Amino acid sequence: MSSIYFIALPLLFGFAVPILSRFGKNSVAYSSAIMQLALLYLAYSMISMPNSVVEVIAINPPLGISLVANKVSVAFVLLFTLLMSLFSIYYLDIRRTKPYKDENKFFILINMLLASAIGLVLSSDIFNIYVFFEIAGISAYILSAYEGSAKAYEAGIKYLITGMIASIFLVFAIALIYIHLGSLNLAVLSERFMTLPSEMKLLISMLLFIGFGFKVEIFPLNFWVTDVYEGSSTLVNGLFSSIVVKAYLFVFFHIFYLFIPSGEYGSFLVMVGAITMIVAETVALKQTNLKRIFAYSSLGQIGFIFSTLTLESSSAVTAAIFIVIAHSIAKLAIFLTITIIEHSSGSVDISTLRHIKSPFVVTIFIVAMVSLLGLPPLLGFTGKFLSLKSFAVSAEFLPLTIIIIASVIESVYYFKLVGLLLDRESERKPLPTSLIQKSILSLLILILVVVGVAPWIISPYIDQASHMMLDNSLYISTLLGAGK
Amino acid sequence: MNLKRDVAVQTYSGLGLSALLAITILNIMLHNMPQSVKRAGEKLLEINSQDGVANAVTTVVVYFRGFDTLGEIAVLFIASLGIGLVLSSHSEHHHKVESSFILKTASKLLFPIIILFGIYVMVYGHLSPGGGFQGGVIVASAFLLLLISHQDFELSHSVISAFETLAGVSYVIIGLMGLWILDNFLGNFIPHDISQMGMLVSGGIIPLIYIIVGIKVGSEMSMIVQNLLKRSDNE
Amino acid sequence: MSDIFTYLNQKEVIDSIVLIGSMALFFVGLFGLLSQKHIIKIFISISIMEISIFLLFVGSTFVKGYTAPILGDGFEKFVGMNDPIPHAMILTAIVIGMAVFALGMSFAIEYYKLTGITDIDKMREMRR
Repeated sequence: MSSIYFIALPLLFGFAVPILSRFGKNSVAYSSAIMQLALLYLAYSMISMPNSVVEVIAINPPLGISLVANKVSVAFVLLFTLLMSLFSIYYLDIRRTKPYKDENKFFILINMLLASAIGLVLSSDIFNIYVFFEIAGISAYILSAYEGSAKAYEAGIKYLITGMIASIFLVFAIALIYIHLGSLNLAVLSERFMTLPSEMKLLISMLLFIGFGFKVEIFPLNFWVTDVYEGSSTLVNGLFSSIVVKAYLFVFFHIFYLFIPSGEYGSFLVMVGAITMIVAETVALKQTNLKRIFAYSSLGQIGFIFSTLTLESSSAVTAAIFIVIAHSIAKLAIFLTITIIEHSSGSVDISTLRHIKSPFVVTIFIVAMVSLLGLPPLLGFTGKFLSLKSFAVSAEFLPLTIIIIASVIESVYYFKLVGLLLDRESERKPLPTSLIQKSILSLLILILVVVGVAPWIISPYIDQASHMMLDNSLYISTLLGAGK
Repeated sequence: MNLKRDVAVQTYSGLGLSALLAITILNIMLHNMPQSVKRAGEKLLEINSQDGVANAVTTVVVYFRGFDTLGEIAVLFIASLGIGLVLSSHSEHHHKVESSFILKTASKLLFPIIILFGIYVMVYGHLSPGGGFQGGVIVASAFLLLLISHQDFELSHSVISAFETLAGVSYVIIGLMGLWILDNFLGNFIPHDISQMGMLVSGGIIPLIYIIVGIKVGSEMSMIVQNLLKRSDNE
Repeated sequence: MSDIFTYLNQKEVIDSIVLIGSMALFFVGLFGLLSQKHIIKIFISISIMEISIFLLFVGSTFVKGYTAPILGDGFEKFVGMNDPIPHAMILTAIVIGMAVFALGMSFAIEYYKLTGITDIDKMREMRR
């Protein structure tokens, strides 16, 4: 099967929604979910393929655009399609009581978001990456302003302005790259990038860092993130935190590893990640809005993943992939749970946690938070443990200390939330949850528990994936050797 | 007083920061003028004639980098959708200023000519400068003229949406047909003989796709223009 | 007089003019972005920055004496023609930039309708 379907089918679906909507009220919703499940199946079938598959579009690389499906990119594609299809099924339940206005457009947007996230991961052409960067951006701007309140528009405008600035710096970098290196293909650029004069290399790296930095949400460039999370609807926050950021994070490091194999800027970036983490966790302490708290917690986790990935050792990459999986699943579960709370009480203040009487929701919430915190026996622990180990192996003790302090701070506000959830004094109201909601949330938590207890289910695959992510010569030879 | 000072401080610091950055970046760029590298574009020019299209930019936009164009169409589609979503959320009440007789007549006269010119630019995109994007924008400008001059003129939402859907779906389907026939997404599966270069029917799928792009861009842009225009009417 | 033209026709001089001109435009935009408070002025500043990059890109890849890469009017082969890739890329980037700009404009209009605010510093719906 061809990896082009991951992008072509959601786009086809998006364009065809006016036709599909003629077949009845639910046809768009169901066809969207069915298509995502089909993509999930396709991703699952690609997991077992032995070699990388290069999908050539129009002409052979290095001249044309091609999609590279190797172990690591397929792992991300599988994660994204899995989370997106669970999200869609969950939304099918939500829409019976609280649908979005103009629902068809919502389905178009989430599918475009999925297509662009997958495109970012698979694409091997830097200008094509820019195009997917923009598709993901523009769908995310509209999704964050979707509710149509003043808050939502403010979030949308902030997101849009930062996104436009980011894209300018990215286009600037791509223009300089093409002017000086004469190619757009990542494999060719990987061979030629180190031949640049050092000043030019620094300039292009800085431009790429700023361009992606806004989207990857690292420290000096993430001032807008929490406002966007607070302004946009809770369901959408789950997508932002579990899919969109992860795609940008992957593509940032994909380019970083290919262009700068010697780890030249590593010591700078590792501190950027550590500072992102500690600043976010410290600010999160005094927040009282659940969405803001988890937005800051996302920033903290991203800083952690970011600094782990800059270590450039295969054990660190393995650890980072584990954290990405654990964080995406746990954050999606948390935001979906907050949606239930918000719909029943109309508020996302932390005091609402006192008034929940639903053992199920409380369990989900606590398990997901414990996994985020990285306590055994959950999946978050595996990643955190491996990551801290690789920090120690690489002798990066300053960032290690900062990360451990940040984790302690993180645990303070998580346990504050746990305390509110388990507070015996307060008056509690039951929280109705439907069967579909229960099964989706339990499935997410089940993955966290089962893979956490038995990480060896996926660890051989992730080991191979992390080797592949760091192996530039393999990537170059697969990409340039492809052709028909 | 305080506010004034704040503004001044912000302005000067902004100016200073920009100037500093400008000097640094210019310095780097002026000292590292591009070397003569063999660019991918030169190779593309060499192999360009094999598809039988006289305009190399069109070949690159529609064929060699056609995947980018598909993404670009998607961006335009999403933007148009978002603008429709955002600006149609309030009820409309027009207040009309009747245009003069001269304006109305002249715009009616010009409208078919502009549309024809737009279609010409679209259809000849593979032979001469121009193409789907340019032609689509010209078509949209014809509708803009009508929208400004005739206050009661309104584009039918369902007709525009039908054009949009048709164009978008057929773009992806043509791409997928390339995949099924040639095992190559967006592959040129229609016969394209090099001897026909320069003729209207040449280049296989390339002119076809550019016309589709033109229809798509024309309908999206017309819709964007109408949404923005109708909105600002009831100020 | 002719000396000036021969000087200006050198490749390095043309390249420097393109560079300095487009970078000047870029920093006009950046200055606008940092100093202006009105949302629409900010969007315009960003557009200026964007266009300066397009100018830089097309200008630096342009080779003097080469023609547009289109056959016809006496040109029979693709020789002595400019690189088509920057043109294609800029075409894509312009359309994307325009789409995002129009979307931003519509957000700004709606936000103004709801709150009456156009100043980016006064946008404080959050943290209330």
